[in-house]
Amino acid sequence: MSAPPLPRGVSPEVPDPGTALLLDVRAVSKSYGPVRALSAVSFSAPAGQIVGLLGPNGAGKSTMMKSILGLVHPDAGEIRLFGRPVGADPVSAKRQIGYVPESPSLYEFLTGAEYLDFVADMYGLDRATRRARIQQFLTGLELAGHENALISGYSQGMKQKVALIAALAHRPRLLILDEPLNGLDPRSARVAKDLLRDLAGREGVAVVFSTHVLEIAEAICDRVVILNHGEVVASGTVAALRDRAGLVGSGLEEVFLALTGTGDLRDVVSALAR
Amino acid sequence: MNLHRVGRLAETLVASQVRSGRSSSNPRSFLGRPSAIALYDLLAFLGAFLVATWVLRSAALSPTTLAALADYVLPFLPLVAVAAVLIAGVMFELTNTARFAGSDAANWLPITPAEYVAASSAAIAYSYAPAIALLLGGLLPIAVAGGAGATYALCAVLSVAGLFEGGVLVEMVRATTQRTSRFASGRHGQLAIVLRALLLVLLILAFDLAFNPVFLLGFLQRFSTYGDLTTLVPFLWSTRALTEGVGGNWLLGGAFALGQLAFVGLLVYLAGRLRVRFWVPAATEIQLSPAVSARGHPFLTGLGLSPPEAAIASKDLRGFVRRREMLPLLTVPIVLVVLMVVEGSAIGAFGSILWVGWVGGFFALLLAETSVGQERRSFQSYYAFPITARTVLRAKVTAVLVPAILGAAAMSAIVGVLFALPAVAVAAFVLLVAAGAVLLALWGLVFAARFSDFQDRPRPQYLRPGAMLGAMGSGMVILFAVLVPGAFVLLGTWTFASLGLVVWTAGFALAAGLLAAHWVRTGFDRLFREIPF
Repeated sequence: MSAPPLPRGVSPEVPDPGTALLLDVRAVSKSYGPVRALSAVSFSAPAGQIVGLLGPNGAGKSTMMKSILGLVHPDAGEIRLFGRPVGADPVSAKRQIGYVPESPSLYEFLTGAEYLDFVADMYGLDRATRRARIQQFLTGLELAGHENALISGYSQGMKQKVALIAALAHRPRLLILDEPLNGLDPRSARVAKDLLRDLAGREGVAVVFSTHVLEIAEAICDRVVILNHGEVVASGTVAALRDRAGLVGSGLEEVFLALTGTGDLRDVVSALAR
Repeated sequence: MNLHRVGRLAETLVASQVRSGRSSSNPRSFLGRPSAIALYDLLAFLGAFLVATWVLRSAALSPTTLAALADYVLPFLPLVAVAAVLIAGVMFELTNTARFAGSDAANWLPITPAEYVAASSAAIAYSYAPAIALLLGGLLPIAVAGGAGATYALCAVLSVAGLFEGGVLVEMVRATTQRTSRFASGRHGQLAIVLRALLLVLLILAFDLAFNPVFLLGFLQRFSTYGDLTTLVPFLWSTRALTEGVGGNWLLGGAFALGQLAFVGLLVYLAGRLRVRFWVPAATEIQLSPAVSARGHPFLTGLGLSPPEAAIASKDLRGFVRRREMLPLLTVPIVLVVLMVVEGSAIGAFGSILWVGWVGGFFALLLAETSVGQERRSFQSYYAFPITARTVLRAKVTAVLVPAILGAAAMSAIVGVLFALPAVAVAAFVLLVAAGAVLLALWGLVFAARFSDFQDRPRPQYLRPGAMLGAMGSGMVILFAVLVPGAFVLLGTWTFASLGLVVWTAGFALAAGLLAAHWVRTGFDRLFREIPF
């Protein structure tokens, strides 16, 4: 079955020749009743690239990520994972994916170590490998020493670290990360950012990354896709988006505000300050 | 106490309750408003009234018989209201996780503990009112025909007070269990968790028994030679008030009724003090040995589960003793069996078999129907893992059946030995109760797969309210269709008719079990097509 055509105004993503396209999203639409969450969204994530999915609250980022994982079914369009439609062999596709949801709901009655052990069982990691990897992550993200306490006693940042480790421990080829640095302390956030860059650069992992912190996106993303009201309003490298918005020399924040039509905030701020 | 604030908070808590089902999640719809419960009250009252009126006309009972019936039943209705709210509250209201306890509006809004207790108790009372409306509607034609109108009116007032009293008691349990949950905080090892679980079970057991009319009256009857002790037990003053009213002594009856209302006021004060003293909205911190997570799951893999299935089942079984909100599930069967042992001589061997069978089935049904929804938002992780719906299904079935079968077998074996049944009869009894538990576990999963409520709310239900009622009603019909003939076979002399009953019991159980298993499979397949929230 051929992929549906791209809608007008959206330029096709053209990865480098010879680069494996681990994720290919083509004209995906999804509605919840009268609310259009996604409207013909297209983008791709080749191996070794970090793709930032940006957009204001309610833009459709989380719905997009859930659609990639098959958690929600798009009404139209096609999503291909590792060259195959997402529904073709979901189990083997998920084996190669790591996912951090927007608000990780962990089993709070388990300890951190038990939870990670449980997740490792889901991915079929052997005991020696899981122990070594989990220990490595626990130490790197400064969770060592807390792993045998119940998750219910963890801070928001500690829970986020557990969710990150759970997504990374099985060495996935594709990472789908919905606000993965939420609540992390500066050191752990830095470790996580460097780790993602390292995984993409050295191991060819593709990362789809959503965040509201535009400095982070600017720092680590190879390309960004900006969603607004469920539609792709721009996609490409940060430099290309600057050019397109006519804001050469500006930061991604100005570009984002210009492209999402929320640029002039003076009236809002002065009204709020009154 | 600012009554306006109390009313607004109670309204918010009830709204949270009625919107826990997906079908009523639209706040603009009538069913999403607290006033929907008033409609249910009215419908329950009118429905029961009409049915009772029709039955009375058909039965053509004499006014004397009806008067005797009203005089016998009405005094106990306020007690039933208290016990019903307390048991339902323990089952469904003590489910706040530490997260919700920490973010509970009452902890950071300018609300006094007494206002919170009053509002929450009122919300609980209002939410469970349809059950009492049903009973009051059914009793009205009996009371009118029996000339007991005045007693009925007092009974209605005291029953409403009883609902509120039950709500206050639930708040007292809530505050006390919060402190108990914190008991093991900071300690190390599995023992801390077991100790915490045991303390919570004992605490809930003590509350349930102390305010259970069956247990309390049975207990007091043992001391009846020492005079009428009901005067000394304020919890029984509503019954005493109505009994005095029935005897024509309205002055004394009125005094007891006022005393009962004053007692409820005192309970509100005490519950407020308990909340101040014990409410510590902090998550528990317990350290466990690292060796725990490196052992694997030999027992579960021995049952034929794959490693992911065993991991899910093991996680659920761990949650069963570690999660505060699951502990009422453990306690209620114990309460019910203790009540049976107290009242065992009155209900006889046949009744005891049915009772234990019912408790086993009820426990399995509750465990099963809440097994999916109790995961709440964490359930979404299954969709991201490389597993199929069948993996989760097999794990859930195991995690429900293992405690259900073990619990049912243990209860029936203990009761069989207590009643000095022969060894073969005990074995047959265990088999019958365990079969009932398996059947109801599958039945509960049928509903869990289709109607689970995954909402993270201060008052989660795990299963949508309509489905909860449907599962209970249909489950009990199925259970008794197996238990009643089974009990006849167990206690009767062996005849050709017994063989027929055996064939019926086994055939019905098998057919119902196969049908349930099919619906569980299709339900899980459908559940895993798309994330349900």
